[in-house]
Amino acid sequence: MQKKTLGTALMALLGTTLIRVPSLSAQQWFRTGINLSTAKLRMAVTQFPPQSVDEQLVSLTNTFNDVLWNDLGDSGIFEMVSRSYYPLKIPARPADVDFNAWANPPVSAQFLVFGHTAIVNGHLVITGRLFDVKDTSAPMVLGKRYVAALDTISARDAAHRFADEIIQMLGGGIPGICLTHIAFVSNRTGSPEIWTMDYDGADKRQITNEHSLSLTPAWSPDGQKIAFTSYAHGGPEIQIYSLLSNRYLPFPRFAGTNATPAFSPGGKRIAFSSSMSGDPEIYIANSNGSNLRRLTFTPSVNIAPAWNPKTGNEIAFVSDRSGSPQIYIMSSDGTNVRELTTKGGFVDEPSWSPNGLFLAFTWRVTETGTYDIYVAEIATGNIIQLTENEGRNEHPSWSPDGRHIVFESTRSGRRQVWTMLADGSDPKQLTHKGHNWDPSWSNQ
Amino acid sequence: MSVSRKGVLTASAILATLIFASCHKHPPVVKAPAAAPTVPPTVTLTAQPSTVQQGQSVTLSWSSENATSLDLEPAVGKVQANGSTAVTADQSTTYTLTATGPGGSRTASARVTVTVPPPAASSTTSTSPSVSESTLESEFQVGVKDAFFDTNSSTIRADAQSALTQDARFFNAHPNINFTIEGHCDERGSEEYNLGLGDRRANAAKQYLVALGVSADRITTISYGKDRPFCTEHTEECWQLNRRAHFVLGSER
Repeated sequence: MQKKTLGTALMALLGTTLIRVPSLSAQQWFRTGINLSTAKLRMAVTQFPPQSVDEQLVSLTNTFNDVLWNDLGDSGIFEMVSRSYYPLKIPARPADVDFNAWANPPVSAQFLVFGHTAIVNGHLVITGRLFDVKDTSAPMVLGKRYVAALDTISARDAAHRFADEIIQMLGGGIPGICLTHIAFVSNRTGSPEIWTMDYDGADKRQITNEHSLSLTPAWSPDGQKIAFTSYAHGGPEIQIYSLLSNRYLPFPRFAGTNATPAFSPGGKRIAFSSSMSGDPEIYIANSNGSNLRRLTFTPSVNIAPAWNPKTGNEIAFVSDRSGSPQIYIMSSDGTNVRELTTKGGFVDEPSWSPNGLFLAFTWRVTETGTYDIYVAEIATGNIIQLTENEGRNEHPSWSPDGRHIVFESTRSGRRQVWTMLADGSDPKQLTHKGHNWDPSWSNQ
Repeated sequence: MSVSRKGVLTASAILATLIFASCHKHPPVVKAPAAAPTVPPTVTLTAQPSTVQQGQSVTLSWSSENATSLDLEPAVGKVQANGSTAVTADQSTTYTLTATGPGGSRTASARVTVTVPPPAASSTTSTSPSVSESTLESEFQVGVKDAFFDTNSSTIRADAQSALTQDARFFNAHPNINFTIEGHCDERGSEEYNLGLGDRRANAAKQYLVALGVSADRITTISYGKDRPFCTEHTEECWQLNRRAHFVLGSER
């Protein structure tokens, strides 16, 4: 769907000759930039057979098999061969592998993932292998054994770890994201609170319990802290919560509206918006609030700062200094301010790609237009539309592998958190209870 | 701090516009139980009598079907599927009952017109330190008007100027009260941008009052962005109601 619509949609929307590239070549630069290769590796992933009929083992093995399949399928770099084509004899060990059956049609796999599970000394032991079935002389690419506790979370964790190994091995050395998390706001308990979940939507956990408004969560780069906008003590202020010690870390209460914190790539500094001097302006401070420095000086809204995660030398932010919200980029000392795009409409909610080359953002091309996610290549100004004709789509946040984007969408009714590949394909709904928004993807 | 919504004077009655905004191309993975019908809820709301003198109570009665949650605003909150309650409005108020169920949400509205004594009578007595809190609160509800804004704007337009001028008269006549100005926005645009815009609106209203002689240290401002809307329909009428600087009575000085 995306391939058909991107180029023409943009040209129609902009009504200019700024974007003349045919949609296919737009896809190519884009895919290259985000490491979504055009040729996906064809992969067969078996259901690992449990080595006994123990009920608990069978149940945990089912969990492991499901999570492994989903992790590899969602990675964006594999073409998963349907299990309906697989040979009847599923290998558990290397000697069982019939190379021809896997390498030839109808499976025609390049890679085969197989293994088995057992309970040994009260632990779940999973042995997994990755074979290059086209290379019969030295087929083994990976061989791993995982010893896990006998519970669902541990079985899921083992699957995530094995999937990450495979993805890193075959995906250009970029670490997988199966153990990353997504922070978001949910009102399922009645008031908007900060929650976290696994990258695939599992294991949702309530972090704050303030019964006020807790908004705009942002991860520290080490994944151990979440900074957010809090109304717990009245007006909006910056709060930082430590997931390690399960308590709040000190941060000063400045006057006025203090909102939308963002950690610097090194984790030592925080950029945020504050109206302590009158208007909402971008400030940076140390992560304990000291060494405060104001970066913007315009009588307008300046909010939602986002650091370039690659360099730490640039900050994108939203300002309505021109009359409507637009994204600007400045150096992290406040100099060299420039507008991301001058194509009009409302441009909002910047999120940098991990390689620092792209910004994802929400764009409403006209005042009555739709809310959709776009990606801009910063150096060229080229823009690609990722969502179209499916409700309000907003608040993108990039995954650390650069291949995925989490966002909020109303396409299923209420505002919910979704993920998609960074080319707009493969959307998945991660939340269902209450309203859920402001998603933010952790670095690790 | 009080964030009471009661007594918000709306320039026009809110039409109970029935909006069912979402499409269901991608049903949620977790489906509702098969037994639950996905027909939209129905809801009715009446006010008896619909016109009262200030201080008199009004009975709100409602009924609904196929709703799992009912929210009667302002000032009442969550209610059962069918029922009635007595309310005392200090000024004309549009009550809106929002029914939400598996099939979507619907609203019904009922307008209560409250007749009040001429404002000149209250302003001459209002500086008296012996005035009781309830009287002060009702005077506040009658004498203080919210300021409304254009889209993406914190500029004080003509109607807001007259509202704020009246507000300044009230606050200058009641020098012993503090108050809060809440900045609010409509649902369009991001949560983040609207937090900033609401801050600008609250501050613009504050600066206007300060210019008319109201002491800045009596005024607290707070932005709620688009997160505490007065109206939840996806219409321009509703959006206009949400683009406002809203006044909340604070403590006595």
